[in-house]
Amino acid sequence: MDWVMTAFQGGLASLASYLAAHVLLCLVPAFFIAGGLSALVPQQSIIRYLGPDAPKWMSYPAAAGAGSLLAVCSCTVQPLFAGIYKKGAGLGPAITFLFFAPAANILALSYTGVALGADFAIARILLALSFGIGIGMIMAVLFRESDVARLADSLTFAAGESISGKVLFFLGTLVALLIAGTLKLDFLKIIVFSSSVPWRGASEVQQVLDRWVPVNEATGAEGLSLQGALLIGLLIVIGATAWRGLGKVDEGFNRLTPVTLGLVVATLVFAAMGVQVTPSGISLTVTGRSLAVIVTTLALLPQARRFEAWDVQQWLWETWRFVKMIFPLLIVGVFLVGVIRVFIQPEWIQAIAGANTLLANLAGVVFGVFMYFPTLVEVPIAKMFLSLGMHPGPLIAYLMADPELSLQSILITSAIIGKLRAWTYVGLVAIFSTLAGLTYGAWADGTSALTLGIAVAGFILMLSATLHLIEARRRD
Amino acid sequence: MLIKILGPGCAKCNRLEQLTREAVAELGINADFEHVTQIEHIMAYPIMTTPALVVDERVKCSGRIPSKGEILGWLKV
Repeated sequence: MDWVMTAFQGGLASLASYLAAHVLLCLVPAFFIAGGLSALVPQQSIIRYLGPDAPKWMSYPAAAGAGSLLAVCSCTVQPLFAGIYKKGAGLGPAITFLFFAPAANILALSYTGVALGADFAIARILLALSFGIGIGMIMAVLFRESDVARLADSLTFAAGESISGKVLFFLGTLVALLIAGTLKLDFLKIIVFSSSVPWRGASEVQQVLDRWVPVNEATGAEGLSLQGALLIGLLIVIGATAWRGLGKVDEGFNRLTPVTLGLVVATLVFAAMGVQVTPSGISLTVTGRSLAVIVTTLALLPQARRFEAWDVQQWLWETWRFVKMIFPLLIVGVFLVGVIRVFIQPEWIQAIAGANTLLANLAGVVFGVFMYFPTLVEVPIAKMFLSLGMHPGPLIAYLMADPELSLQSILITSAIIGKLRAWTYVGLVAIFSTLAGLTYGAWADGTSALTLGIAVAGFILMLSATLHLIEARRRD
Repeated sequence: MLIKILGPGCAKCNRLEQLTREAVAELGINADFEHVTQIEHIMAYPIMTTPALVVDERVKCSGRIPSKGEILGWLKV
């Protein structure tokens, strides 16, 4: 029975570190940003650059922009992809959009950053952007003859609303909140003041928590702190109040709406404080980070008042919808990852993917293609692999391939662009994810970023030059 | 009056349909509803994003959920 207990504790440890303060400070603002992007950004502001007559230097970056700003939800991905392909800028930008969206949305990006480190997040977005544009261009070159006759009409790509200044400023403040809560900067660590609350029971409670969720440095289990336990309690209360407070907000603000928002702010501020259990009680530390979080959340209030009530309701409703859609699956996923972690021997992982070789990167890609995990669960899985000794290169290869390719996405894609194009796309994603892994692995092993940057940029330039030449010849 | 909701069946599309049905009931008008989920049929309209509301084959809005006040305005004419 011992191993059942160990496995269960592994799951709990994984959940505890997932719900720890620094992760909440990243994910909570990220969900509100995702809701804001979905509810407040007029989609026409980007779509207007994706028309059939848009020049390449405009349509490819715009497709990437649409991927990160508009496609927070899978239900926008499908129509947008079909629309760009059939009516707009064509196959190339549509593929760029499809490839870039899962890697570059705010939730995936910030979660990668806080769970695996900022360098993984930056690598993920840069490599996804350059190789997304690369794959799009190759597809455009390969299938140029069979490019469909576009059913374009000027109305679809009409100029429409652009993003208003107040929306930009509002989203910017939310991003500032996310950064203030997560970035490891010195001035955020300054201790402003600290005080201690005498409570003899504190250390006893901490002992109980330690028994339930043991700290294990070998597996990277952080254990459950008193602060973590209180935060989990707060989250449960928020969940209960948000059910009506945010879930029904589109019928008008109700009494629970301010309660929920107040609790969210309280949770964020509490998460941004230092809480230490001492023999005589609890010592509370207010750091630069706590103040930064308080200031940015306070700055949101007067801004939100300037929006129309309907817009604010939509924002909150969308945010809660994302939480409902993603969070439960993520919790289950994180728990299972912790359980599985107990049974995997580090030697296995190190033997297969411990070094930055071609084979190791291919292994990462193959695992990514054949496994399907719900949105964001790829991140805790990657974290598990990292703690088991996987090399960062193959890890990026896996992170690129997993969310891009699943059976579901392949089926949807082939229904829209046809089987041949869809499977070519799958093949290209596999090749490029391997390349991305090798590139990042080389950087992690000490190759200078400049050399690699030049290599990647040169490769993309060569591709766009080829595409340009082919199109020019066809026009003659 | 023929009202079409375009969208692949996501939460937003269902919410739009619900709001529109409420608006129709409030006005007490006769309207037929159709929820278009086929992507080819959706793409026949000049839109790129869903959910979209089409009243008598005219696209009223796409890519967002309008407020009930807006919907009432479109249905009154």
